[in-house]
Amino acid sequence: MKGAELLVKALEQEGIDVVFGYPGGAIMPVYDALLDSPIRHVLARHEQGAVLAADGFARVTGKPGVCMATSGPGATNLVTGIANAFMDSVPIVAITGQVPTPVMGTDAFQEVDIFGITMPIVKHSFLIRRAEDIPRIIGEAFHIATEGRPGPVLVDLPKDVANTMTSVPPIFEMKSPDLGRPDPEQLALACRLLQEAERPVLYAGGGVGIARAVDAFSAYARASRIPVVTTLKGIGAVPTRHADYLGMLGMHGNLAANKAVQASDLLICVGARFDDRATGRLDGFAPGAKVIHMDADPSEISKLRFADAGLLGDLRVSLASLPTELSIEPWRAWCGERKREHAWRYDAPGDGIYVPDMLRRITEADPEVTIACDVGQHQMWVAQHCHFQRPEQHLTSAGLGAMGFGIPAGIGALMGDPDGRVLTVTGDGSIMMNLQELQTIRRYELPLKMLLVDNASLGMVRQWQELFHEERYSEVDLSDNPDFVEVARSFGIEAFRVTRRDQVDAAIERLLDADGAILAHVCIDPKTNVWPLVPPGETNDVMLEGMSA
Amino acid sequence: MNHTMTLTIQRVEGALIRALGLIERRGFAVTSIDASADEAAQQMELTIEVRSPGRSADVLARQIEKLFDVRSVDLVRTDEPAVQLEESMAC
Ligand SMILES: Cc1ncc(C[n+]2csc(CCOP(=O)(O)OP(=O)(O)O)c2C)c(N)n1
Repeated sequence: MKGAELLVKALEQEGIDVVFGYPGGAIMPVYDALLDSPIRHVLARHEQGAVLAADGFARVTGKPGVCMATSGPGATNLVTGIANAFMDSVPIVAITGQVPTPVMGTDAFQEVDIFGITMPIVKHSFLIRRAEDIPRIIGEAFHIATEGRPGPVLVDLPKDVANTMTSVPPIFEMKSPDLGRPDPEQLALACRLLQEAERPVLYAGGGVGIARAVDAFSAYARASRIPVVTTLKGIGAVPTRHADYLGMLGMHGNLAANKAVQASDLLICVGARFDDRATGRLDGFAPGAKVIHMDADPSEISKLRFADAGLLGDLRVSLASLPTELSIEPWRAWCGERKREHAWRYDAPGDGIYVPDMLRRITEADPEVTIACDVGQHQMWVAQHCHFQRPEQHLTSAGLGAMGFGIPAGIGALMGDPDGRVLTVTGDGSIMMNLQELQTIRRYELPLKMLLVDNASLGMVRQWQELFHEERYSEVDLSDNPDFVEVARSFGIEAFRVTRRDQVDAAIERLLDADGAILAHVCIDPKTNVWPLVPPGETNDVMLEGMSA
Repeated sequence: MNHTMTLTIQRVEGALIRALGLIERRGFAVTSIDASADEAAQQMELTIEVRSPGRSADVLARQIEKLFDVRSVDLVRTDEPAVQLEESMAC
C-alpha cells in the first residue's frame, strides 16, 4: 500500500467521513487515494474556506474537523484558519502536502516550511519522514487535537513519502483521554470560598462547551442560583433566558454583567481565560474578588489573574463537588435589579432597520437555529441580542476575530449537521473575505441561510475611528460595494433586499422558511454603532452608552 | 527576575525550536543555554536561563510542559532582581 493510501485508511479508521480541502501538486497522491475511499471530500474554493469549514464542523459536532491542502500557497492559505482554531481551542487536523524530502530545504517549487510557519499556532505538528509512521502519527494527531484542551494539529506529508510503498502496519490506537480530578485540597478551599462569599459570580467561557460540561454547569447555576456571566465563547453555557443570566461581560458586554463582576467578591471562572476583551484593563477587573479557576488546561490557572483556588481537570467533576446552599439572596436581588435596569431596549427611533431587534426576533422565531457569525459590529449584536440554548448554536471567531469566518463556518456546520438549520450573519466587509465559498454552497446544495448586514462600511473600525480618532475616517468606506443580491444570484443562490423596518417580519419569514440557500441583504444606516462599549485600556467600570440606530 | 530551568525533550524534529520559540513568544528572554544529548534515550537535556518580563515562571513552566515532545520541566533557581518588560524584550 502507498503512504497516501495508508493516510486515507488511517483517517477512515478515525471515523472521519468528511474532509474539506483543495488539491495541488504535492498532495496529489492523497487526492488519488481519496477516489477509492468512502470519505467525502468537500471542495472549498480557497484553502481558508476549507480550514474554516473544518473548524465550523468541529464546533457543531464536537468531533475533529479535517482539512487538506497542497504545499506552498495551499498550505499558507490555511494559516488563518489554523490560528483561528488555536485561539478558540477547536480540534482540527490539517494535512498538507509537502515537496519530496530530497528537495526539502532547497527552496524547491512550492516549498514553504509550513511546519515552521505554524509552530506558534498549533497544539502540535508532525512532519512525516517515513511511510510506516503514518498510522501512528495520524492516531497521535487526532488524539492530541481532541484530548484535554483541544486545538489544531498539522500533519505535513512530503510527496515521496506519500508515494512510498509500505506493508501495512497495525493501526495505532490511543487510549481515551482522562482529564483527571481536581486536587482535594484546592477543592476544599474552593468550597470554603463559596460558603464565605456574599457576592459570587459564575464567569463561564468556551471551556464549558468544549468540556461537554453544559449540563453540569446549568445544573450548578440553577441549584446555587449564583448570577452568571459569559464570555463571547461561553454564550449558551446556560440558556440565555436563564433567570440568573446577566449576559456577556467585557468590552461590548451587558452593563448588568460588568457591574456584577466589578462588584463581586468571588469570581468562579469556569473554562475561561481572562481574555482582555472580557476583562478590560486587567488590574481593575473584579478588583474586590477572590478567584476560583476551573480549567482542563494547567497553564491557564493563574496565567493572568491569581487563582485563590485552582481546580484542574474535568469541569463536570469540579462543578458537581461545589456547594449549592449559599446565602446570597441580597446579592441576587441586587443583580436582578441591574438586569432589569440594563435590559436591552428595542424601541429605536426611525423607520430604518434595527438589526439587534431583527436578530433577536430570528432566534425567537427559531430557537434551535445555529448562527455562524462573521466579525465586526454584527458579530457583537448577535452575541448581545440572540437567544441560545447551547454553546454549539453560536459559532463565532472569538479569540482571533477573523473576518471571513461566517460563511465557511456555516458550510462546515451544515456538513456536520445536515438536518440542522444554520444561519450565517455577516457584514459587507466580512462577506468579501470568503465570498468564493458561495460556490461551495451551490455545489453541495447546502441550505445555508445568510443575513448580510450592509452598512456600506467597515462598521466596527468606523466606530472606533469615530470615537477614538476624532472622526478621522480612514479606509472604512465601502459605499462602492457590488450589488450583493446580484452577486448571490450569479452563484445560483436566492437573494432579496430589505431596506425598511416594515419589511422585516416578511424577511425573517422568508429567510427561515426557505428550503435552499438564501441571502437576505439588509441595508442599514452606516452610522449605527454598537453599545455599550468599554474603551480600550479602561476598566469594565467605564462603559460608554450611546444612541442605537 | 532570572530563572533557571531544566528541560528534558524528546529528540524529534522541531522539539528544540518549539520549546525555545515558546519561551520567547511568552515574553521571556533566553540568556544562556546548555544542551546535552542522551543518545540511548533519544532525549536531550537542556539547562536554560531566562529573564522574566515580570510574568510568572511557574506559568511558563506549565506552558512548556504542555508541549508534546517535552518530557519534564523543572524550575531550579530564581534570582532577583526583577527586570522591566522592555528591558528583557530588548535583548
Ligand atoms: C481578517 C481581518 N481583517 C481585519 C480585521 C479588522 N476588523 C475588525 S471588524 C472590521 C470591520 C468589519 O466590517 P463588516 O464585516 O462590514 O462588519 P460591521 O462591523 O460593519 O458589522 C475589521 C476590518 C479583522 N477582524 N479580520
